[in-house]
Amino acid sequence: MDMENTNLFEFAEFDELESEHIAAPRYSYWKSVWRTFFKNKFTVAVAVLLLCIIAFAMIQPMLSGYSPIKTPNINNSHLKFLKPSAEHIFGTDHVGNEVFDAVWAGARNSIIVSFICTAINMLIGIPIGALWGFSKKMDRWMIEVYNVISNVPFLLLAMILSYVLGAGMRSLIITMTCTEWIFVAYFIRTQVMIIRDREYNLASKCLGTSTWTMIVKNILPYLISVIMTYVSREVPSLISYEVFLSYMGLGLGTTNASLGQSIAMYTSYMNGYPHLFWIPVSVLAIISISLYIVGQRLADAADPRTHM
Amino acid sequence: MSNNNNREVIVSVKHVDISFDTGGKKKFKAVKDANFDIYKGETFALVGESGSGKTTLGRAIMRINPCSAGEITFEGKRISGNISKEEDRNVVRNIQMIFQDPAASLNERATIEYCVSEGLLNFHLYKDENDRLAKVDKALQDVGLLPEHKSRYPHEFSGGQRQRVGIARAMIMEPKFIVADEPISALDVSIRAQVLNLMNKLKAEKDLTYLFIAHDLSVVRFIADRIAVIHLGEIVEIAESETLFEYPLHPYTTALLSTVPMPDPLIEKNRKHKVYDPSELDQSGDPREMREVRPGHFVYCTPKEFDGYCEKAARLEKEKGAN
Repeated sequence: MDMENTNLFEFAEFDELESEHIAAPRYSYWKSVWRTFFKNKFTVAVAVLLLCIIAFAMIQPMLSGYSPIKTPNINNSHLKFLKPSAEHIFGTDHVGNEVFDAVWAGARNSIIVSFICTAINMLIGIPIGALWGFSKKMDRWMIEVYNVISNVPFLLLAMILSYVLGAGMRSLIITMTCTEWIFVAYFIRTQVMIIRDREYNLASKCLGTSTWTMIVKNILPYLISVIMTYVSREVPSLISYEVFLSYMGLGLGTTNASLGQSIAMYTSYMNGYPHLFWIPVSVLAIISISLYIVGQRLADAADPRTHM
Repeated sequence: MSNNNNREVIVSVKHVDISFDTGGKKKFKAVKDANFDIYKGETFALVGESGSGKTTLGRAIMRINPCSAGEITFEGKRISGNISKEEDRNVVRNIQMIFQDPAASLNERATIEYCVSEGLLNFHLYKDENDRLAKVDKALQDVGLLPEHKSRYPHEFSGGQRQRVGIARAMIMEPKFIVADEPISALDVSIRAQVLNLMNKLKAEKDLTYLFIAHDLSVVRFIADRIAVIHLGEIVEIAESETLFEYPLHPYTTALLSTVPMPDPLIEKNRKHKVYDPSELDQSGDPREMREVRPGHFVYCTPKEFDGYCEKAARLEKEKGAN
C-alpha cells in the first residue's frame, strides 16, 4: 500500500450525542389508536352503520312521537297486521301502529338505558376495583362483600326493586347498576393484581409515588384495552338485560317503548305475523353485534402492540 | 490499608434477618444475620450467586422488603420497621435505586419526561413548570441523552439508553445513597462499560455512595472499593476489593473467585476449579459472627475457624511477599 496516499484520508468528526438521536417519527398513543382503528375498512363500515343506527334511533322517535299507549288506529281494521310495504316499511301491528316507529322508539330507550348503566358501572367499578387490586387490606373484606353480592340472584333483585321502586327508567337504571358495578370492580381488581407488582411500579414506589397517582399513571393506561373490551361486552349485554327485564314485565313498564317491550308484545302474534316478532329481534341483534364489533376493534386498536 | 474507624458511616446494616412467608408456619429466611457498614463516598459491592439474597437485602434498604430482625440505619437514624411518614419521605429522597432490567423498570405508557420527573412531582422539588423541565433536561444531559427525548416513550429506546433514563430518574432526586441492583447485567456487553463509567462519573460529581449488587466479579473488581460476599443469605466475607482478590479467606470466596474465567485458553484448560464444600467449615456448632482477621477484612466464622483464617492469611501474605 502506498503510504503517501494516507493524506487522502482524514479523521471523521464523531459526535457521540448524534448517535443518541432517535430518527423514528414521534409516537403519539391516541393518534396511533385512531390510525389503527381506521385502517380496517370493515371496522369503519360497521362503525358508520352503528353511528347511523344510533343517530336514527335518537331522532326518528322525536318525529314520529310514538308511544305504546297512543293507539289512534285501533278501530281501523284495515290498518292492522299489514305486511311490510313501501308505505309501511316494517308493516303495522295489532293496534294499527307503525312497527317502524315502535322499533325505533324502543331502540332509543334501550340504547339510552344501556349506555347510562354502562357509564355508571364503569365510573363506580373502575376506581373501586383499582384500589381493591392495590390494597391487600381492602381485598380481605372486599372479597367477602363480592361473595355476598355476586350470589344474590339477579332476577330476584330485579323483581323486588321493580315492586319497591315501580316501573320506569330510573328504577331500571338502579336495578342494572346496584350490583353490576361489583363485577366490573372484580374484573379490574384481577387486572390490577396482574401488573401491580411489576418492576416499574416498584420503581415508582421508590420515588415516593402515592397509590392513587400510581393507579392513574401506571396502572389504568395499561388497562385501556381490556377496559374497552369489557365495555364492548357490557353495552350489548345490558341491552339484552333491558330487553329481558322488559319482556318479563320488570323493565320500563307498559307506558314506555323499548325493544323488550315490543318483542314481548309481538311474541303472541308469532304464528300468524312472524315479521312483528322478527323485526325488533333483528334490530336488537344488529345493534348488539355492531356495538360489540366496534368495541372489540377499538380495544384492539387501544393495545399498543398493534401499533407497530 | 485505610483506617475505616475514622470514616463516616452512611448506611449500617445490623444483624438483619429477612424472611418470607411461604404459606405455612415455616418461613423462608432469605437473609440471615447480615452485618455491615457502608462508608460515605465508597462503592460497596454485594456479590453472590443467584438466590443468595443480594437483591432482597438491597430492597430491604429501600424499605420494600421488611426486616424480620435487626435494624438498618441511614445517617444514624433507623429506617427499618415502622417509621414516621416524614422519615419515610426523607428516606425516599435520599436513597434511590437503579433497577436491574431496564425493559421492565420504566412505565411504558408514560413519556420520558414523566418517567424522569416522577420524583420531582411527588416531592414538588421545582419552582415552576419551566424549572421542572430544565431539571429534566439537565438530568437527561447528565446521562448523555438529549432534551428532545423528553416527549419519547420508553419503547423507542435501546437497552443502554433506557438504563440511563433509569439512572437519570434516580439522580434527579439528588440522593446521597444509591442501591444499584445489578444495573448492567441485563445490558449488552458493548454498553456495560459506558453505563459503569457513567455511574463512576456521577459518583464523583455528586458525591454519592453506591451499594452495587452484582454477580459478575470482574465488574465488581472494576467498580467497587469494598466487597461483601454473600452465600445462601449469609454474608461470609467483607474486605477491600483488592484484598479480597489477593487474600480470599473463606472457602466459598475462594471457590467463587476460581470461577472467574481467564482470557487465555491454555491456562483456562488446565485450571482446576475449586468446588465449595461446606463440610470444610467448623461443624462444632459454635455461633458464627463477623470477625476481623486482618485490618478491614472480616470473615463470618466460629472462633476455631477464625484461627484457621488467621493462619491462612499469614501464609498468603508470606507467599505474596516471597514473590
